[in-house]
Amino acid sequence: MWINQSEKIARRAFLRRAGQLGLAGVATPWALNLAAIGEAAAFTATDYKAIVCVFLYGGNDYGNTLVPFDNANYAKYAAIRTGIATPQASLAGTVLAPATPLPGGMQLALAPELAPLKGIFDAGRMAVQLNVGPLIQPTTLAQYNAKSVPLPPKLFSHNDQQSVWQSSLPEGSVLGWGGRMGDLALSNNGKATFTCVSVTGNAVYLAGQSAQAYQVSSGGAVPINGLKNGVYGSAACATALNSLITQASSNYMESAYSQTTQRSITAEGTVTAATSGVTLATPFNTANPLAMQLQMVAKMIAGRSTLDVKRQVFMVSLGGFDTHDFLPQNHPVLLGQVAEALKSFYDATKELGIDDKVTAFTASDFGRTLASNGDGSDHGWGSHHFVLGGAVNGKKYYGTAPAIAVNGADDVGQGRLLPTTSVDQFAATLASWFGVSGSELKLVVPNIVNYSTQNLGFV
Amino acid sequence: MDTDVIDESPRSETDANSATALRAGASAAALLLAACGGGSGGGDLSTGAGTTPPVVASPPVVTPPVVVTPPVVVTPPVVVMPPVIVTPAPTVQEAARFLLQAQFSASDGEIAAVQAQGYPVWLSAQLNAPATRTGWDWLMSRGFNTATFAASTFPADYMVWNQIIASADGVRKRVALAFSEIFVVSSASVPVQSRSFAMAQYWDVLAAGAFGNYRALLEEITLNPAMGVFLNTKGNQKADPATGRAPDENYSREVLQIFSIGLYQLNLDGSNKQGGDGRPVETYDQASISSLAQVFTGYDYDTTGSTRFTNPLEVRNRMKLNASLHATGQADFLGTTIPANTEGTAALRLALDAIFNHANVGPFIGKQLIQRLVTSNPSPAYVARVAGVFNNNGADVRGDLKAVVAAVLLDAEARDAAKLSVPAWGKQREPMLRLVQWARTFGVASPGDAWAVGDLSDPATRLGQSPLRSQSVFNFFRPGYVPPNTSLATQGLTAPEFQLTNESTVAGYLNFMLTTIRAGFNNNNGGLAPPTYTAELALVNDPTALTDRLNLLLCAGQLSAATLATIRTSIATISSATATGALNRVYAAILLAMASPEYLVQK
Repeated sequence: MWINQSEKIARRAFLRRAGQLGLAGVATPWALNLAAIGEAAAFTATDYKAIVCVFLYGGNDYGNTLVPFDNANYAKYAAIRTGIATPQASLAGTVLAPATPLPGGMQLALAPELAPLKGIFDAGRMAVQLNVGPLIQPTTLAQYNAKSVPLPPKLFSHNDQQSVWQSSLPEGSVLGWGGRMGDLALSNNGKATFTCVSVTGNAVYLAGQSAQAYQVSSGGAVPINGLKNGVYGSAACATALNSLITQASSNYMESAYSQTTQRSITAEGTVTAATSGVTLATPFNTANPLAMQLQMVAKMIAGRSTLDVKRQVFMVSLGGFDTHDFLPQNHPVLLGQVAEALKSFYDATKELGIDDKVTAFTASDFGRTLASNGDGSDHGWGSHHFVLGGAVNGKKYYGTAPAIAVNGADDVGQGRLLPTTSVDQFAATLASWFGVSGSELKLVVPNIVNYSTQNLGFV
Repeated sequence: MDTDVIDESPRSETDANSATALRAGASAAALLLAACGGGSGGGDLSTGAGTTPPVVASPPVVTPPVVVTPPVVVTPPVVVMPPVIVTPAPTVQEAARFLLQAQFSASDGEIAAVQAQGYPVWLSAQLNAPATRTGWDWLMSRGFNTATFAASTFPADYMVWNQIIASADGVRKRVALAFSEIFVVSSASVPVQSRSFAMAQYWDVLAAGAFGNYRALLEEITLNPAMGVFLNTKGNQKADPATGRAPDENYSREVLQIFSIGLYQLNLDGSNKQGGDGRPVETYDQASISSLAQVFTGYDYDTTGSTRFTNPLEVRNRMKLNASLHATGQADFLGTTIPANTEGTAALRLALDAIFNHANVGPFIGKQLIQRLVTSNPSPAYVARVAGVFNNNGADVRGDLKAVVAAVLLDAEARDAAKLSVPAWGKQREPMLRLVQWARTFGVASPGDAWAVGDLSDPATRLGQSPLRSQSVFNFFRPGYVPPNTSLATQGLTAPEFQLTNESTVAGYLNFMLTTIRAGFNNNNGGLAPPTYTAELALVNDPTALTDRLNLLLCAGQLSAATLATIRTSIATISSATATGALNRVYAAILLAMASPEYLVQK
């Protein structure tokens, strides 16, 4: 009854490629890059791989996520973070001992609530990317102050930096790097609909040119009861419902709405078939919303043969990280949820025997100030993030540890970190593991061409 | 068979539904914030209408009845008449369309009134009608002012559902709801005692201020305790050089980015100004935010008259300044300098004046009101006309929100029937508005006046949206949201409400309405009773008349002939011979109408 969604997407992709040379007015870097490469842009996968973006909405406080532990740096940290410093003694159990120590005797500890992740780090399956954030090109503090190089738009603004992290462009962007990876992987998937899957709300991260985010709830795909069971007992009205909610329209919004409904109907049966029979021995805390989302991701990975996919990009999220206030009370709770959820997820991928094919990473709007406002911190820029999975070259730090300082060598004021690694490099590293070739990286993250190091090596 | 929606007992909160809890309590003294601002309900829409507006039945703009012998200076309170659309009177569809933009629903009586009076006169009466009972008073009347409910958020949900479903002043409440999506506070993030009362006061400020002056509303919002908690002005302290502590920047940033001017300098028509380098020009930088943040230090609750839990005026009184915690450094922002050592309340006044007078406010706020009430992608000329009225209501008053609302709703573009067939026209009806429209259209009551509707945010089983429950200050959706992989994206069009639309929420909504249309919501525990559908049952044996009625009231006649035929034909297969059958026919007709994309996109 439905047009096969995969065929439709493939046809759209073809038409889009065919039309790209005429796209002169749309001057996004991607459009221009795409116009240059045409049909060649795709890779062939023989195995299964998944990338999972764990987005921490609100701007995670890097200062209390990875805390200086050696005495010299802890003293600086404690002096700066009045009212919001984590006690040094509470960090003793989560001090990280990477294969290669940081220079100058600097030691960092995970927040105590991140303790569940320490074992994964120690086992070499989690890496820490230090001070990563959006950049257009390598940027020094002098260049930032002189505004002599292009900078990401709308720094420090939540909605825009969420969008920039996910897509390199501010609010209104319609192409994310998860979606772009999906575009390149699309031809490997029998059911293209399940290439990019969100278990959270709508986000630009998973939007590609052809790949389109499919949204599923933590509890699975939501069936439309009226279609399944009749409308107040009437089969005729169920048929009418079906026809009305999927009807074509010349109005753009009506059309967009009914297309979403069509996808919902078409995909629901497949997702339910793929996931409803999956039982995981690994416990997921039902009171932890992030854990519930990741459990659904694990179930879809378990059902990958029914979903008929070889490459998938997932997105999950947790909100509440905008800790202007009550940071010492609220932030540990949030980190505890992150750690618990990621640990369950990693364990589940091991249980499924697919841990080396699944790589998860954290991301967030921005880092925050190191300076305290009394009981919280403010919007920043660069931050530390985690990458974990069986394929990760873990027990290592990547990037450069920033000085513990306010108005120091590595921050643009109040401990707002000037990133020393760009999101594009971070994304390109994941994309390379996913199967994207070196020449295609610029299709995923356009500004990667400004970097000589395009693979950071963490996976 | 569909499953009933399970009762809505508030999660992880004390039992809301115990009868004792809901006893009527002593009603508090009437709270009525003075609605400030002049203007007499309507801007002169002739200004700025440079590009030929689409014609609505020849709108000759009636300029003020001048006449007075020159050179007599006409004294200011000249009644600035909105443009009077002379002939013919609106059709029933046109009247319903107008009502559904101006408020939540359209009744037969309201349609007739709009037809008889014309748009401007009907609207003027609404704009000048006094506000009805406040949310605060309603909470008091329900006895929620006890320690038991001090940490609960569900009374705030009940309060706001009551306000938007059961209030007579629909236009005021509709505009207040629109402002709750601009000056956002979320009841999920106001973790204080008497939090529902804090949310009620916040809502009451919006409802009172919706038809006042923007400047007054901005100040009320700035000093509102719920906002103070939500964006951290409450308890914000001056810098401490000894420790390096800096003022909290949250309100300083969001008051500019979200509540007033946005990130880029705008032309009157809402488009970005371009700098010499051809790029948009930023309105402020980080240094301005840090500097302005000083102005918002030193504020905290004013506990005057408060009695813990029973009369929690600390969450109702405007926050007050503690000068010893206030930063008195020079503040530089938006080209304004507030000198060092300016007294705190004076500094706040100067800061809000500077924000208020920024050229961006008219187009920034005006465009969002158009988006909330009329269409997602207004023409630049429409934005410019509304912004022009913001800048000057015709009587030299800036920020007159009555005039702005009138300008939004009476604009030729809003009223142009030809827009109905323009592919980019319209906006998606927000999920919460669909429920409210259903409830008001069919006269839904709440058993015991309890309005125990609760949080409907769950995307899989509820509406995926609930009033005053945005996840962040960025609202449920952004004004600039573009749904990827759609013709909207191809066309470069925004569709904010689509940020909530995905494969789960489209299904969740249909399932929710399937049960709610028949059984109400949480009816056994004081939620929404199922309507009697008396008027619809009277037409049940005439499917054409029934569907035509629903098309008018729910969709302003915007269902296509094909859709109407589909509904008509299918419901006719349900026998109406029994009472149950008749009701099922009515339920099905309503569900099919409300499921149709032609309904879901309000044009």
